[in-house]
Amino acid sequence: MIITKQKDPNSILETISKYKSFFLIGCSECASLCGTGNEDALKDMAGFLKSNGKEVTGMMVPKTGCQTLGTKIELKKDKDACEAADAIIVMSCGAGTQSATEIFKDKPVYPANDSLFLGNMTRFQMFDERCSLCGECIIGKTAGICPITNCPKGLLVGPCGGMSDGKCEVSPDTPCAWVRIYERQKALGNLEEMKEVIEPKDWSKGQKPGTLATRKDKKELTE
Amino acid sequence: MSFKEALESGKFVVTAEVGPPKGTDISEMLHHIDLLKGKIDAANVTDNQSAVMRINSLSVCKIAMDKGLEPILQMTCRDRNRIGLQSDLLGASILGIHNVLCMTGDHVSAGDHKEAKPVYDIESVQLLRIVDSLNRGKDMMGSDLKGSTKFFQGAVVTPEANPIEPQLMKFEKKVNAGANFFQTQAIYDIEKFRTFMAHARKFPVKVLAGFVVLKSSGMANFLNKFVPGINVPQDLIDELKAAGKEKALDTGLNITARHIKQLNEEKICDGVHIMAIGMEDKVPIIMERAGLL
Repeated sequence: MIITKQKDPNSILETISKYKSFFLIGCSECASLCGTGNEDALKDMAGFLKSNGKEVTGMMVPKTGCQTLGTKIELKKDKDACEAADAIIVMSCGAGTQSATEIFKDKPVYPANDSLFLGNMTRFQMFDERCSLCGECIIGKTAGICPITNCPKGLLVGPCGGMSDGKCEVSPDTPCAWVRIYERQKALGNLEEMKEVIEPKDWSKGQKPGTLATRKDKKELTE
Repeated sequence: MSFKEALESGKFVVTAEVGPPKGTDISEMLHHIDLLKGKIDAANVTDNQSAVMRINSLSVCKIAMDKGLEPILQMTCRDRNRIGLQSDLLGASILGIHNVLCMTGDHVSAGDHKEAKPVYDIESVQLLRIVDSLNRGKDMMGSDLKGSTKFFQGAVVTPEANPIEPQLMKFEKKVNAGANFFQTQAIYDIEKFRTFMAHARKFPVKVLAGFVVLKSSGMANFLNKFVPGINVPQDLIDELKAAGKEKALDTGLNITARHIKQLNEEKICDGVHIMAIGMEDKVPIIMERAGLL
């Protein structure tokens, strides 16, 4: 899921300073699990804005904020409240925020959250990054552990000289990704695989902005 | 005799470091170059060492060479992508710089520009392969070069890494990628180093043992605590302590000289790399005491 963290509320106030009234949009998916876009988070934000002299015309938690069309349909019932607002504040990830940018052609849209990474929830509201969405997965060669993400240098060929007692040079509490890979390959009896020098990464596979269409149209399906 | 010829001749070689400063006043650095030239076989010119922004390695290599000190261009993968690295390698080549040390490079979080985007488009082993390819007249994509390079390429290894197995696997990858010589992380335990060399000797590469002079027992404790892959044994720490504040540095120089002498006399490795870190004037003293001058 996309891991988000709410911005410093005062920095939000500063960004929206020239507007008076706002409509709030959350998200019931990742941002709710992060506690940054669920109903309670929206209510807290509304309270904060009101206590700072702002108006909140309404709020809504769409099912999946990054699903632009669905969110647009869900927002129909809040048409008046949206229209009454000077600006929209979105409490989801950067993708959900930009759904709103697309939906509200003539209203400014502001993010309340910072989008941090694609993460795994290890315990309730505890998240760790495991995948960098690099465009070409190599973990079939690295014991199912992604060195591009788990190593701060994204090394593909083994541990760097900064590894110390199995720990990472950059964050000494974190195990070295390549020591983890080594230990797992050893346990799996696949140490030979670690002898391969993985080729330099083809970054063109993850060129931005990514775009993909997997839908088969009706004609194709009936054929 | 060039650095490469010296290593190939079987001479016990000595390399040291020239650290480019931050800023354009290079008078102190020029003084260091003068101190080292004619005494050592070559000098590594560091590449924004510890991720602290300074003059680039390439320019200082050229200056060292013009002053008569053979340079080893240190190249890290932290600040340049594959285009920048290959381009700088070609640039080094036309300037007559033919020794290159390929390393991954300390992370930006260790340095003075912590907000920088770390590059690591490629890494040490892949960089060695790229150098090998440039030497054969091709860029890393396989396109023909108009004129090839003739680099003598080296790499680094940490003989006391813990765990050691992944480090030794990477060492072997570096050998296979074309490394001709290795300079090691600082070593303080000759017997442990002898064990590493028993492994390294299985490969057709030259090994220069790394040295960082201990200035005090406090420094030794600091290195043990904070520098990965460095283990100063207790007996050396005791020796420095016993020497007292006044004589600690001199004792540190003696320890380094004693170790270098032993490596040379017992032919444990092919040379040494002395990282003086601001004490370049001490390099000739160490060499003298080790019987190398």
